[in-house]
Amino acid sequence: MIAELKELWRYRELLLVMVQRDLKIRYKNSALGFVWSFLNPLLTVGVMTFVYTNFIFKDQPNMGAYIMAAYLPFMFFQMCILDSAQSVLVAMPLIKKIYFPREILPLASIFSNFINLLLAFVIFFAYLLIRYFTNPVTFPIKATAVWLPVLLLITWALATGCSLIICALNTFYEDIKYIMGVLLYLLFFICPVLYFSEQVANSAINHSTNGLIYKIYNLNPIGYLCTAYKKILLDPITVTVRGSETAAADPMRWDYLGVAAVTSFAVLIFGYYTFNRLKWRFVERP
Amino acid sequence: MSGHGLIEVKDLKKEFTLNTSGVASIKTALLWWRKRNAKKLNVLKGISFQVHPGECVAVVGKNGAGKSTLLSLLARVYKPTSGSIEIRGRMAPLLELGAGFHPDLTGLENIYFNGVILGLTREEMRARTDKIIEFSEIGDHINAPTRTYSSGMLARLGFSVAVHIDADILLVDEVLAVGDYEFERKCYAKIDEFRANGGTILFVSHQMDAVRKVADRCIWLKDGQIHRVGPPDFIIAEYEGRDLDLEEGR
Repeated sequence: MIAELKELWRYRELLLVMVQRDLKIRYKNSALGFVWSFLNPLLTVGVMTFVYTNFIFKDQPNMGAYIMAAYLPFMFFQMCILDSAQSVLVAMPLIKKIYFPREILPLASIFSNFINLLLAFVIFFAYLLIRYFTNPVTFPIKATAVWLPVLLLITWALATGCSLIICALNTFYEDIKYIMGVLLYLLFFICPVLYFSEQVANSAINHSTNGLIYKIYNLNPIGYLCTAYKKILLDPITVTVRGSETAAADPMRWDYLGVAAVTSFAVLIFGYYTFNRLKWRFVERP
Repeated sequence: MSGHGLIEVKDLKKEFTLNTSGVASIKTALLWWRKRNAKKLNVLKGISFQVHPGECVAVVGKNGAGKSTLLSLLARVYKPTSGSIEIRGRMAPLLELGAGFHPDLTGLENIYFNGVILGLTREEMRARTDKIIEFSEIGDHINAPTRTYSSGMLARLGFSVAVHIDADILLVDEVLAVGDYEFERKCYAKIDEFRANGGTILFVSHQMDAVRKVADRCIWLKDGQIHRVGPPDFIIAEYEGRDLDLEEGR
């Protein structure tokens, strides 16, 4: 594995050029290139915010920010897996002719999506500031936002590990990407993007199992990452517990984040190992 | 081009698994689970040879003898089933010219991309782009996307990139016939220059004229094994003679 990493480092220039190429193609051919790639998340968040502020969470202020804080990293995770699943197959004519570390193909997709995620967070903070200037109450950017790079790193590790595994498998079994499409769609509802993890904690089913459901729920690394983004970037929410009582919001749980971090890096190492074991057989696929 | 290029192949074997189901998917894997007949195909059955620094070696043989598999193994596209390959020096494979070009990027952007795949840095490529563009005779089209190029232009640009990266070893697979007579002569001149500077070449060709013109030594591959090794004139005479015998025998 160390030898593979050294080889990858030797080819870092190629990875850089691939990422540049990816971004260039994405933003080329259209003056609106940059806006274009954020139109989808912005529209989605816009519609969700409208529905959720008006019909579901009527007393939760700034619901759009809460949705966006979790939706952006989740979208990154999803796009990484779906993009990199195809990356080796698309480059098949190239890798049949010439050698370079094959992991560069999915990694290029992942890094260009990561740059997209960073730009998306710039838009997120811009949104917070614009809201603040139109209605100055409390300054919206919290001190705990310094933890954002840590969360981004963990999210990157998880996304990269999963992407490498899916990419290697999809190269041999081309229907994996359809299965992943469905699984990611379902995963979206299991993760607290459109709702809050406190609602899981205060649910009847969680109380009847003595909090077991909530514990299991938070073991999902991408799920707890969604919660963590909301907690470090935004104010704690006011929770309504069955009826009209209110309870304190659950604080940021570093132990669950630790579990998510360990899981993510384990997935990263396992994914890299799996990919390297399978990569020589890509060109010999049926 | 320092004359350090060296290829050493020891007991190289390559085995492919033939799959008859055709499509790679979980569905086929499940449906064909009981009917699967994974045949093994031994393409290379243990070959050993050396290419010394500054030498030019041609590989000849019928279709299916394993020539292209050998080149792909040397280019590290495949991993050997067993045996070892040792390569010293920078290698530029000319397996298929322009294989790494992205149709939406311009010729210039593709020059950088191709050069970096072949192991150079962007700094090093920057110093070479003028020479590459000049040699390829692409002219002003270099700023147009390569999807607008003709196949001849793609081949010329690909060849031009490959010979300008200062490789120690060239791997050539039947690609010297790119473009018109004029350009072909230029290619041969470039190859002579490369050899004069101590470059090492391994190439595969069906054109015996090319083999006679360029090679110092000839390896005849037959059914995945080395049949004969020797001076080109000698081997070609026998190789073509064998073909004649076959035709007479029919």
